[in-house]
Amino acid sequence: MNIETCNVVLGGIGGQGILKASEICGWAALYEGYHVKKSEVHGMAQRGGSVESHLRFGQRVFSPLVNRGGADFLLCFHEEEHPRLKPYLRKGGRDLLRYLDAARKLVAQEPRALNTAMVGVLSRELSIGEAAWEKALETVFPPKLLPFNRGVFFEARAMER
Amino acid sequence: MARTKRPVHRAFLSGNEALARGAWQAGLKVACAYPGTPSTEILEALATYPELDVQWSVNEKVAYEVAFAAAVGGVRSLFACKHVGLNVAMDPLMTSAYTGVNAGFVIVVCDDPGMHSSQNEQDTRWVSLYAKLPMLEPANPGEALAFVGEAFALSERFDTPVIVRMTTRISHGKEDVVIGEREEVTTRALEKDFRKYVMVPGNARVRHEVLEKRLVRLKALAEKTRLNRIEEGTRSLGFITSSVTYQYVKECYPDASFLKLGMSYPFCDEKIRAFAKSVRRCVVVEELDPFLEEHVKTLGVRFAAKDPSWRLGELGPDAIGPIVRGEQRKVRKTTSRPPRLCPGCPHWATFSVLKKLGVFVAGDIGCYTLGALPPTSALHSCLCMGAGVTFNEGLRRAHPDGPIVGVVGDSTFVHSGVTGLINAVYNKSRGVIFILDNRTTAMTGGQNHPATGLTIRDEPTRELDLAALCRACGADHVDVVDPTGNLKAFEALVAERLGADALSVIIAKHPCKLIKRKL
Repeated sequence: MNIETCNVVLGGIGGQGILKASEICGWAALYEGYHVKKSEVHGMAQRGGSVESHLRFGQRVFSPLVNRGGADFLLCFHEEEHPRLKPYLRKGGRDLLRYLDAARKLVAQEPRALNTAMVGVLSRELSIGEAAWEKALETVFPPKLLPFNRGVFFEARAMER
Repeated sequence: MARTKRPVHRAFLSGNEALARGAWQAGLKVACAYPGTPSTEILEALATYPELDVQWSVNEKVAYEVAFAAAVGGVRSLFACKHVGLNVAMDPLMTSAYTGVNAGFVIVVCDDPGMHSSQNEQDTRWVSLYAKLPMLEPANPGEALAFVGEAFALSERFDTPVIVRMTTRISHGKEDVVIGEREEVTTRALEKDFRKYVMVPGNARVRHEVLEKRLVRLKALAEKTRLNRIEEGTRSLGFITSSVTYQYVKECYPDASFLKLGMSYPFCDEKIRAFAKSVRRCVVVEELDPFLEEHVKTLGVRFAAKDPSWRLGELGPDAIGPIVRGEQRKVRKTTSRPPRLCPGCPHWATFSVLKKLGVFVAGDIGCYTLGALPPTSALHSCLCMGAGVTFNEGLRRAHPDGPIVGVVGDSTFVHSGVTGLINAVYNKSRGVIFILDNRTTAMTGGQNHPATGLTIRDEPTRELDLAALCRACGADHVDVVDPTGNLKAFEALVAERLGADALSVIIAKHPCKLIKRKL
């Protein structure tokens, strides 16, 4: 197991399914055997305002929030929110914004699945095995929505880099 | 939701879900609350355990009294609220400290440092000092699960309500938590104890003495309990801290020594003195008010505390270095997108008419508070729950013929708007009160209330008829209209009622767009 703590910041605007996206990642990290912390805010912010979720996993994690300049990965769901979130990224951290358009195209028929597509993109970067991702998808999605979302996830995971 | 069908012993739970799990494990029987961010999910999670008697109450005072009385009746019970919700329940709270309990009673309060979804940033730790009640402060979801069990045990051992204080980052943070099974607790007998439960002056004087003596015993416990934990690290630097702040400091200074307070009231004076003396530099780090700082000052030990500028807002890992170095808080310009009414929200129609009429709109707490922000900018006051109704009256006492209306949500009207309406009728006030009836408690995520005709578990119950209630209160006119239907007719009605020398209620009824998505 990777001893270093992995820090991910996910962000966008209310209604984009960001909390669901970080929920999938959190369960996947848990199934992989990591200690996981995830932090976000519900309520007023979800009425179309800015939403961000912080996810940290490793052997032992204390703070539920990522430092500014401390994120290994930034998963941004909306271009206009990017300047606000960028300062979280550490030097040498991976900014996955460049995949946002491709992810949008992938789910053009069902835009609400953008979150699943973005998680698929992120999944390639994390030290979490495919079995843990499978279990996480099963945990988070009800049976009716699972086949479609699993399809989107794996298509995004196989997307050209 | 909190429960997965799989037989897992580790679950990925939010602080609210973990607290609910811990309460269930501790043999909880009755739980009551009114929704309020960040506390709402506690009751929602508890409602998934079929063996529990769980309810959305009409407001926090009612919730407190029902849950507390259940404890007096002999079953473990819990009341949950947000910080400002506790203000509504302060009347029963203060005197319940005198009577004590029978079976365990736990008050869960969720503060909102940084005001992510609140109208103020009050620090509830002062309530423990004011009410003389013990307070436990979990620092993460795992502790939320464990501490609520401790709280029930303490409550029964010391015959007192116990406060468990959470904050947004604990309530809405998730982590992997070890879960256990339920302990069944037998119901205690209900006794007629005149001196304990009838708080008339003669009895209350005696109970006040009981309360003071109990506090002395609790103070002794605070010195011994493992809830107040010393973590020995380097001698050069030590921190006294609690709640989620502990996590931030631990992240930044993993090698330092810590006195981590899980029981933040009564204070463990001897432990604090000994710890402060054991390290070369002692720093008290806490979010919001100088609650620990003010007390540690009285103990005659050398320590440092944060610059007063840090009393504003929530802390985070980035704040710790500057605080320890004694620096002031630098306010970063926020570029975050403000929330707004959802597209297709029925409130748009009402606000568009009110804006056109140019009236002063007294409002309060709910999704419709967002009507104050651009592009609607049509709500002009928001103080607390139910104030849309009472502000209409008060403002009219200053400007009897002023172009003033009040707006209140359906859930908020039941919570504390109806008393204002009765007052307005009784005291011959005039004007128009709008009940923005979107058939749910929308801002907190869509909870049922008496006028939806459904319980917390979506079971049908007797539906409160808002129009009949307003008529019974004595309103001169009560109209029920769909504001999104014929906008011209709606506007004409509003103008007519506004021009009349009468007290009118217009129930603007149209369901929230988000209800169906939830189902």
